[in-house]
Amino acid sequence: MIKPQYIISILLFFPLLLVQTTIVPLLAIDTIIPDLILILLVYYSITQGQIYGSVLGFIYGFLFDIITGSLLGSAMIAKTMAGFTAGYFSSENKRDQYLVSYYFALIVLLSSLIDSTINAFFTSINFTSNIFLLFFQYALLPAIYTAAIALMGMIFYPKRKIF
Amino acid sequence: MIRFFVSVWENFKEYIVLVVLLIISLILLSQNNTQGIQQVRSIAFGTFASVTSVFTDVFNINNLKNENENLRRTNAEMMLHLSRLREYAIVNDDLKGLLALKDSSKFPLIPATIVSKSLTKSQGTITLNAGKNQSVKVGMPVITDKGLVGIVYSISDNYSIARTLTNVDLKVTVKSERTRENAVMKWNGEWLVMINVPKTFDLKKGDRIVTSEISSIIPFPLPVGLVYEIGDVEKGIFNEIRVHPFVDFQKVENVFVLGIVKSKEIDDIEFNLLSRE
Repeated sequence: MIKPQYIISILLFFPLLLVQTTIVPLLAIDTIIPDLILILLVYYSITQGQIYGSVLGFIYGFLFDIITGSLLGSAMIAKTMAGFTAGYFSSENKRDQYLVSYYFALIVLLSSLIDSTINAFFTSINFTSNIFLLFFQYALLPAIYTAAIALMGMIFYPKRKIF
Repeated sequence: MIRFFVSVWENFKEYIVLVVLLIISLILLSQNNTQGIQQVRSIAFGTFASVTSVFTDVFNINNLKNENENLRRTNAEMMLHLSRLREYAIVNDDLKGLLALKDSSKFPLIPATIVSKSLTKSQGTITLNAGKNQSVKVGMPVITDKGLVGIVYSISDNYSIARTLTNVDLKVTVKSERTRENAVMKWNGEWLVMINVPKTFDLKKGDRIVTSEISSIIPFPLPVGLVYEIGDVEKGIFNEIRVHPFVDFQKVENVFVLGIVKSKEIDDIEFNLLSRE
């Protein structure tokens, strides 16, 4: 039996991708942009568990790659790993604590780091450059930006469940 | 035996699912250019882009005012250039007439608006609201009044995806306008770089870089950027030249698709030549 949350989590991807590809580029600092899809993925990974997070990351990555014309498979692997990582924090006792505190932003930061690093590995391997500088530019800065947006989102997080 | 598998599944199901998903992803990674994937991609982004285009139009209205002002300024500058070029053109026509050369400067321009952008650090792509129905074909260059933006990579009926110059998978043959020396240019994730440039090449900071006629993609010189920095590769005989592009990929909104695919033309010519034999 497919739960309504499962369908909603996939349907929410499309309006978010719309925002990600039209409005978010306007918020770019240099070429660094936050990843709103990852924030949604982390949210669902925490609420639904690790397996669900991995599968949802896989689906999000597939849809992202196929729609934006990116290298098919790169975002799939990155988002699957990010969903899997975020799913670690899906313990029933602490779930609510993680969702409504700054912990959420920290989990987003960690997942985003993994997502960006894997993406960078598949799409821009350039071993002649300083690897730490590349990590800083490709992974850390976008991850911090994404986490900052997630932190701002915490302010608007509803205290009661919507779905 | 079954009990063993059940126990393994119970203990490691998260990891088993993860490994299976990663294996599927890796398989798809190697299938990027297959016909089936291209068709699915074409349908997916075509459908999504039709929604995005409505959304983008709303945001574009605010920017149109600024863009109009810039275009008016560009027009004025172009008018000044044009008057000077007309003089050259008269002389050029005379010389061409003497040498019996063909005029190759007239190519159709297909106007398009960018409906969405994927501005990752290394895989810059843009979705345009022009596709097969507007005669856009894979391989056509995408340009603005400032210069080259990218190359069309995938098309659907009314939309197309183009790889911008900030995409590691796009390599273009370019040349220095001053010295006429050719090199391959690519995006290294941070900069546009001309790679494997012999150190004997006389390139200088500020030199104008345009696409080369020997490129299999772009038929005639299109502005790309200016030489920003000459690399200093200590070993070997080659250098890397950093290029600052004329086009601001974050701000660009309206573009033209240059209605020609050079490689196709060359292929046709070569095919005809072979057919004759």
